[in-house]
Amino acid sequence: MKSMKTVTVLGAAGAMGSNISAIFASFGAAKVYMLDIGKPDKAIDKAVKSVRAESIRNRLIPADYSMLEECVSESDLVFESVIENIDIKKDVTKKASQFLKQGAYFCTGTSGLSINEISKALPEDFRKKYFGVHFFNPPYNMTLCELIKTDTSEQSDVDYLKDYLSKQLLRTVVVCKDRPAFVGNRVGFQFINAALQLADKYANEGGLDYIDAIFGTFTGRLMAPCNTADFVGLDVHKAIIDNLSANTDDYEKQSYVLTDYLKELVGNKKLGRKSGEGLFKLQINEDGTKIPLVYDIQTKQYRVKNRYKFPFAEKMKAYLQNGDYQLAFNVLREDNSQEAIICKNLLKRYVNYALFVGKEVCDDMSGVDDALATGFGWCPPLALSNALFGTNYPTKYDYRSFFKAGK
Amino acid sequence: MVHVLGGAQTDFERNWKKEGKNLVALLKEVIHDGFEETGFSFEELRRLNKENRVESFVGNFIGELYIDQGHLGSFLTEVDEAFYGVPSARFEAACASSSVALDAAITKINAGEIDVAIVVGFEIMKYVDSKVGGDILGRAAYYEKEGKGIEFPFPKLFGRLADAILEKYPDLDEKRFMDALAKISVINYENAKRNPKAQTRKWFMSFEQASQRGNDTNPLVGGRLAVSDCSQVTDGACCVILCSEKYVKEKGIDSKVVVKGYGHRNAPLLFDKKIKDNANSEYVLPWTRQAVLDAYRRSGLTVDDIDVFETHDCFTSSEYAAISAFGITEPGKECEAVENGTIAFSGKKPINPSGGLIGCGHPVGASGARMFLDCYKQVSGKAGEYQIKNAKNAMMLNIGGSATTNFVFIISKE
Repeated sequence: MKSMKTVTVLGAAGAMGSNISAIFASFGAAKVYMLDIGKPDKAIDKAVKSVRAESIRNRLIPADYSMLEECVSESDLVFESVIENIDIKKDVTKKASQFLKQGAYFCTGTSGLSINEISKALPEDFRKKYFGVHFFNPPYNMTLCELIKTDTSEQSDVDYLKDYLSKQLLRTVVVCKDRPAFVGNRVGFQFINAALQLADKYANEGGLDYIDAIFGTFTGRLMAPCNTADFVGLDVHKAIIDNLSANTDDYEKQSYVLTDYLKELVGNKKLGRKSGEGLFKLQINEDGTKIPLVYDIQTKQYRVKNRYKFPFAEKMKAYLQNGDYQLAFNVLREDNSQEAIICKNLLKRYVNYALFVGKEVCDDMSGVDDALATGFGWCPPLALSNALFGTNYPTKYDYRSFFKAGK
Repeated sequence: MVHVLGGAQTDFERNWKKEGKNLVALLKEVIHDGFEETGFSFEELRRLNKENRVESFVGNFIGELYIDQGHLGSFLTEVDEAFYGVPSARFEAACASSSVALDAAITKINAGEIDVAIVVGFEIMKYVDSKVGGDILGRAAYYEKEGKGIEFPFPKLFGRLADAILEKYPDLDEKRFMDALAKISVINYENAKRNPKAQTRKWFMSFEQASQRGNDTNPLVGGRLAVSDCSQVTDGACCVILCSEKYVKEKGIDSKVVVKGYGHRNAPLLFDKKIKDNANSEYVLPWTRQAVLDAYRRSGLTVDDIDVFETHDCFTSSEYAAISAFGITEPGKECEAVENGTIAFSGKKPINPSGGLIGCGHPVGASGARMFLDCYKQVSGKAGEYQIKNAKNAMMLNIGGSATTNFVFIISKE
C-alpha cells in the first residue's frame, strides 16, 4: 500500500486543517506537523476528537513557521489549507516549496481556486507533483476527496495519489480537471443558489422556509438547500458563487447570480449558523424554549418559521415511511401543484447540470455520483434520475437510503 | 437435504430513525432484495402458497420494547399481499433469534412439510437512546438478577467472561491476552472495510487505538473491556431463502449450497452458574464447544474441513473463546491463532471476513441470518471483495445472551 510517512499541514488551526491532519495521522498513520497552530492543545484536541482516536495524539506535532524548513524538508507530502485567498495561498506555497525534498507531493485544499494558477508559485521542477486535494467537511463523515490534476500532472502521480487517498485514507476519490469549484461544489452550489433564487422569486409565499419545505429530506438529501447554505456559511457560499460566476460560462450561468438579500446579509455580517444568525436564527426564550426563526425576504425581519403542509410532500413522506418508494415518486411525477412543479423542475435541472458538468470535469460519469453522494449526502444525480425519471444510468448508489421520511 | 438459495441484508450503516422509516419499510426492502438476489418472486410465492408449500420464519429479539410492536411474524403481510395466507411466526432466542428461525425452517423442510422457507431476521435498535437500548438488551440475561438497574449490563457480563478466561488459564499472560483481544477488534474492523454493507466500513481503528483502553475515545465499559472491544448496535434486517431437494429438481435450479449440519445447546442462563459449570471442562464455555462438536458430528466434517468461520463477536472476549470452541486451537492457546495470523483474512482459518458483529454491526435479531448468509456467500463465491478463495465449507456460531443459547451451522458447497 502507498504511504506517506511524514506530512506537513499548513493552516492546521482551521476546522478543515485540523480535521485533515487527523485523517493523515489516523488512517494514514503519518507523523503530521501542524503549522501554524496558535493554541496547540486546542487544535490537537479537535483533531483527536474528529476521528475519535486518542491514539493519534502522539503523531500530531505542533509547529510554527520558524520550523518551516525542518518540517517541510522531512515531509513526503505538504498539504496547504490556509485561507481561501489566492495571493496568500501562493505566498505560503512559495515559501514552503523551497524546502521540499525530491519526490515530495504538494497539495492544496482549496475548494475552487485554480490549481494551475497556484502551482506557479512553485519552482518549475516541483510543479508536476502539485495537486488539488479537496476534502469535504467534516472529512471523517464525508469521504469525498476531489483530486485535481494540473496541465503538468503525470498519470503515474495521479495514480499514486489516488491509490494513497482511496486505499490508505479510505477516501472516495474523484479525479477532476482544474475547472472552477471542480465537480461537487459546482453541481451542489448551483442547486443551492438556484434554491435561494427561488426563495426570492416566491418571497410572497414565504421565501426561504417555503423553498426548504419543498426540498426537504424527502427529496433525497440530508438537509434542505437554504439550510445548507446557512450551515456552510453565507460568506463561503458567496465566495463559491462569485468564483463560479466569474469563471464559468455555461447554460446555467443565471444560477450564479447572487440574490440581493443574501448580499445584504453578508454585508451585515449575518453569516449563518456560525455567527448566530443568517437565513435562519434560533430564538432562545428566557424559559429555555427554542423557536426556529427564518429571515423574511420581504420584510427583512426574522419571523417564526411556517409549518407548510403541501399535499404532495405529505403524501410522499407517508409512502417513504412505509418503504413505498415508487408510490412516493409517482406522487411527485403526477402532482401539478405549484410546489410539486417547483420541486420537479429543479431536480431535473440538477440531473441535467450534473451530467453536463460531469462530462466537462470528470474522467468518467461515476465521479459525479460519487461527489454528490459522499460530499453532500444527497441522492446522487444518476441514481436520482433512475428513481424519479425512469432513466437507466449505471450507478453504484442505492437511492433508497437518501430519500427520508422526516420526523 | 436443505438448499440455500441465498438472500440479502440491508446496509447496516443506515439509521432507520434518522430516515424516518418504520418496520414495514425495513421488511419490504430486505424481502425485495432477497427475492431479486435469488430469482424468487411474489408470483412464485402465490403459486407455492396455494399448495401450502411455503412458510415464513421471522427472527427478532425484542421488538416489543424497541419499537412497541409484537406479533412480528404477521408483518410480512404488510410487505405484499402475496403473503396473505402464508404461515408465519416469530422466533426468539435473544441474539440467536434468527438462528432458531432458521432451525425451524430447516426442520420443516427436512420433515417434508414445506418446500420453500423465507427466513427474515431483524432488529430496529436506534429508535431508543443507547442507555435505554442497553437496558433493553439486559433481557437477554436473567434481567431481575443480572440486568435490572445496571447500566449497560452486557459489556459487564462479557468483561466477566474475559476475567473468567484469565482465571481458567493461569499461564495466560494478562497483557498478552488483552493485546490479543485488541487484535481481534482490529481484524474485524479491517475486514469490514471490504464489506460494502458493514456499519463501520468508514471508521478508524488501529492496534494502538484498541490497546489503549480507558481514555476519552476508548472508555472502559465492562471491567477490562473498552468500547473498541464491543460490537455496536444498529438497525438492520437479513433475509435468507431455503428450499427442499424436491424444489431444486422441480425448478431445475442449479443449487450446490446446502445446510450440512447444526448444533444447538443451551448453557445455564446465569453467568455465575455458567462459569461454575465449566469446572470439569477444559473449555471456558463448554456448551458452546459442545454445539460445535454436534455440528461436526452431524456433518461428518472436522475443523480441518472448514475454510471460513463467522462467529458471534458481540465482544472480543466471545470471539476469543470461540477460537478453541471451533477447534482452531487447544483451549487456553487461543492467543496463538490471533498472534500468528491464523484467523486473519489471509490466514488458514479466517474468522469473520465480513467484519463480524464488531465490524459489520449487530442488529441483534438479524445477526444469525446475516452470518448464515455470509457463509452462503463464501461457499458460493459471491462475497465480492471479502471473498475467501476456494471456500467450500463455512461454519457459523451465533450466541444468545451471555453464551446461553449456542447455535452452530455448517454450510457447504456440494
